[in-house]
Amino acid sequence: MSAEQIVAFIQWAVSSGLIAAGVFFVFVGAVGVLRLPDFYTRLHAAGVTDTLGAELILMGLMVHAGWSLDTLKLGLIGLFLFLTSPTSTHAVANAAYTAGLKPLVGRFRPPRPGEEADDEGGAS
Amino acid sequence: MTAREAAEVASPFLFHEIVFLDIAILAMMAGVGWAIIRERRLFVVVMLSGAYSLLSAAFFVALDAVDVAFTEAAVGAGISTTLMLAAMLLTAREARRPAAGMRIAPLAVVAVTGAALLYATTDLPDFGDPDSPANAYVGRAYLVRTPDEVGTPNVVTAVLASYRGYDTLGETVVIFTAGLGVMLLLGLRGARRSKYAEARRQRQAAARLENQLNNSDEDETS
Amino acid sequence: MSSNHHLVLRVVAKLLIPAIALFAFYVQFHGDFGPGGGFQAGVILAVAVILYALIFGVDEARRAVPPWLVRAGCAAGVLIYAGVGVATLIGGEAYLDYDALGPEHHHGQHLGILLVELGVLTTVASVMLAIFYAFAGRAPDIPDEEW
Repeated sequence: MSAEQIVAFIQWAVSSGLIAAGVFFVFVGAVGVLRLPDFYTRLHAAGVTDTLGAELILMGLMVHAGWSLDTLKLGLIGLFLFLTSPTSTHAVANAAYTAGLKPLVGRFRPPRPGEEADDEGGAS
Repeated sequence: MTAREAAEVASPFLFHEIVFLDIAILAMMAGVGWAIIRERRLFVVVMLSGAYSLLSAAFFVALDAVDVAFTEAAVGAGISTTLMLAAMLLTAREARRPAAGMRIAPLAVVAVTGAALLYATTDLPDFGDPDSPANAYVGRAYLVRTPDEVGTPNVVTAVLASYRGYDTLGETVVIFTAGLGVMLLLGLRGARRSKYAEARRQRQAAARLENQLNNSDEDETS
Repeated sequence: MSSNHHLVLRVVAKLLIPAIALFAFYVQFHGDFGPGGGFQAGVILAVAVILYALIFGVDEARRAVPPWLVRAGCAAGVLIYAGVGVATLIGGEAYLDYDALGPEHHHGQHLGILLVELGVLTTVASVMLAIFYAFAGRAPDIPDEEW
């Protein structure tokens, strides 16, 4: 196996690993948005999707593209997302808090089937 | 033979990665469309239609129509959503539920149109077929003649701005007319608030104050 | 709640708005080589101003990009586009045949496309802003509590 092949293999492995990690975090975020009890915790899960998941996928794509103009462009997209998605998460949380939505504190008891679902923090 | 070639030979249609992507995106679009129909809160409807535009932009990228995709992403997902939100502030937050009888006729129209369109797709040329009418006559001529006559690497720009300059002039005038209509109907100034808006502002401020007072009362009692 | 709870938004918007405007011009002038052109660039340029208006207030945005400029821009774009056509007529060619604009015909075509796209950019950006101003100017200021 030549040196070039080894480099190509490492590139493939690193980029695949990063993309797989990104997909994992996007999946975790999606599950979190569906399963977590109140608005703020769901927002936390959505933030994971935006920031960590998308950034990892972009980093994987950057490694995959190698040294080229595409890498620079992907890097710029990554920088843009890195600035905007935490900001939007912050803005949404801030707006919700200002609007008077109280975070759910204490023990969470999941609604049982047949019971009325307590959707206090959810629909807003 | 690589695994991918083997997969292509084995089942050339469904497991081709682009076809798979197309089906995934179209399924998501159908899902978002269904959600838009079912939803009554206008804010959610506006955000969902932005998501729908973004999905259709992704679909255009899958079809290799990057210029259209870019326009869809910028206009459909970007500014339309913003303008719709701005327009939504002037109206109610929720849509009225249509009466039960009102649903049958639209459903029939949509079903018949959809069936006709589905029937028509059987007659369409294959995607990317070089002999299809869209690719054969003027389309091919533009591709052949652009490097010599116009010299821009992006043929879409050459067609849009040079060969079809009249059309684009017309489009610009259409946008101008739309802006003119909005300006004539709503006015640009806005800083000069009408008496009605001023009264509403005062009402809202009063309601807010009352709310705060109530809240502080609650805080004291608890 | 402290009065500057929009601080994070303001700082990030100040970072992003110039970048968005710059990207609009990249899309505008890169349209010959890649996807893009006056329509997309105009929309993106308008978005930069709208973002400014959303975060710093419509009145601030009106001070930065006054309505008379927007109103003039709507018409100026169409005027530029149609004026290029008149220029080609004067140059002795058909309406909007850009070969009349330059000594060598690629040069004329490039100049023509550039000017025409500039007209499209001006009209699209101005009309989008005009529509936004028209709606945002009529909307009562939304109290934070409603969101």
